[in-house]
Amino acid sequence: MTGLRGAWTIWKKELRSYAVSPLAYVFLGTFLVLSGLFFYLGISLTGEASLRVLLANLAVTQLFVLPMLTMRHFAEERRQGTLELLLTAPVPLSSIVVGKWLASLTLCLLMLAGTGVFPVILGYYGDPDWGVIACSYLGLVAVACGFSAAGLFASSLTDDQVAAGLLGIMILLPFWLVHQAEALLPADWAAAVQRFGVLRHLESFERGVLDSADVLYFVVFTFIFLFLTFRSLESRRWR
Amino acid sequence: MVEAIGISKSFGPTVALTDVSFSVGKGEIVGFLGPNGAGKTTTMRILTGFLPANAGEVKVAGFDVFESPMEVKRRVGYLPESPPLYPELSVGEYLAFVGELRGLTGRACRSQTGAVMERVGLGGWEARILGSLSKGYRQRVGLAQALLHDPPVLILDEPTSGLDPTQMVGIRALIQDLATSHTVILSTHVLQEVEALCPRAIVIGRGRVLASGTLAELKRRAKRGSWTFIEAQGIDARQLATTPGVDQVEPLASVDSGWPAFRVMSRDDVRQGLVDRVVAAGGHVRAVEARLATLEEAFIDIVGEEGVTQGKAG
Repeated sequence: MTGLRGAWTIWKKELRSYAVSPLAYVFLGTFLVLSGLFFYLGISLTGEASLRVLLANLAVTQLFVLPMLTMRHFAEERRQGTLELLLTAPVPLSSIVVGKWLASLTLCLLMLAGTGVFPVILGYYGDPDWGVIACSYLGLVAVACGFSAAGLFASSLTDDQVAAGLLGIMILLPFWLVHQAEALLPADWAAAVQRFGVLRHLESFERGVLDSADVLYFVVFTFIFLFLTFRSLESRRWR
Repeated sequence: MVEAIGISKSFGPTVALTDVSFSVGKGEIVGFLGPNGAGKTTTMRILTGFLPANAGEVKVAGFDVFESPMEVKRRVGYLPESPPLYPELSVGEYLAFVGELRGLTGRACRSQTGAVMERVGLGGWEARILGSLSKGYRQRVGLAQALLHDPPVLILDEPTSGLDPTQMVGIRALIQDLATSHTVILSTHVLQEVEALCPRAIVIGRGRVLASGTLAELKRRAKRGSWTFIEAQGIDARQLATTPGVDQVEPLASVDSGWPAFRVMSRDDVRQGLVDRVVAAGGHVRAVEARLATLEEAFIDIVGEEGVTQGKAG
């Protein structure tokens, strides 16, 4: 119970901090401008009434945006000395981590909600497959869950938020770049590493199919990084 | 109320604390003294459960910090060296957040926040943004934060550092007021503060407890702790030193015209002997007085010259 209330308290505070942070607005704006661009390009290049191009590109955009949104969390707490406040309050460390993760996730969902205008336009002028669109959005939410957990982990490693942001991108890049692995590795090796790629697991979402293996991939991805965040904060107390 | 038994802490190869033990009773206000870098902050952090100790035990109100950290955290109010504030929040938002973190909700949280703000002199400052506050007010918010959940134990790490003299007096008065209803551990290197607030002090240096006791005990224990002041004419330091029981005599700058003064070091009370000695030499005595070292002298003696220079460098 204290755990849940603690996470809720942290979540509210983080959203308040986002609300007064210029950075959040800059990223929100950039994200929406890019989305508009992807939407236009997708329609004009393919001539399809689908969001395929937009949604695939948004997944990659998240790879850069989410570490920037989460970089502040623990790095800044440590630099400001407020980590001492959090860790001496009667709130479990796990609920601090979860509260912060949910806050960045919420912000990311707001960004995705902002792109909701595009399906509406599509529905007005064409006849898109709504199942595919809904499923693709679910895929993006899954990506947001995983990437914000990874960003949070990067933030727990350093007290410099810019370093944390870049580190977050560096942690996530391999999950994107492995799709080009065959250029470097023998075919069977490449196939093996590609199984860890994010885009590979997004494919089913983008086809409009909910594949439990792919859902599990994102659940495990998120869980591992949240757990690593927890462990990294815990172990730093010992050094 | 607070008990530390043999706590040790290292950061990698750096030893921060070695076998630190002390206890603080209910309702006591204890000064935690030491030069910078002596291990004060590390000790405070261990007491509050922010850092784990490598060895030893800490108990607050009967709860072990390591085994039941939540119980301890509920009972401790902690003001770290620099107040842990979020510059983007307002005073009201911040205190509401901290209150909620500590388990206060709704109306209880609001009324408690209001009461604490009045108490630390922040009445009417709810809407001010923390980032825009001066050092003194930041410190007050930090103190308010520590008091919010009305903890029986307060741990204050250098609460007056960086304040101007008026603010210092204000914060001290507040601490004095708090001490009537709380157990307070106050870390500082400002000796006047200890003199003004704490009947008892624990001196630590290079990660060890060097001395602990009431201020009078600490002063007496110092090597040059107790001495006898004498003003006498017709006798010199060399002659005075022949008094039985006297270890050493130093001439002092005379207090006023003509009367030479001496500092007489001895193990026991030698006032009678000194007077007899002066009279036997045909001189006159105007004043004899047993004196205690100042806290500053006692501190330097306990910590050692080295510790003091180190402190200044750090």
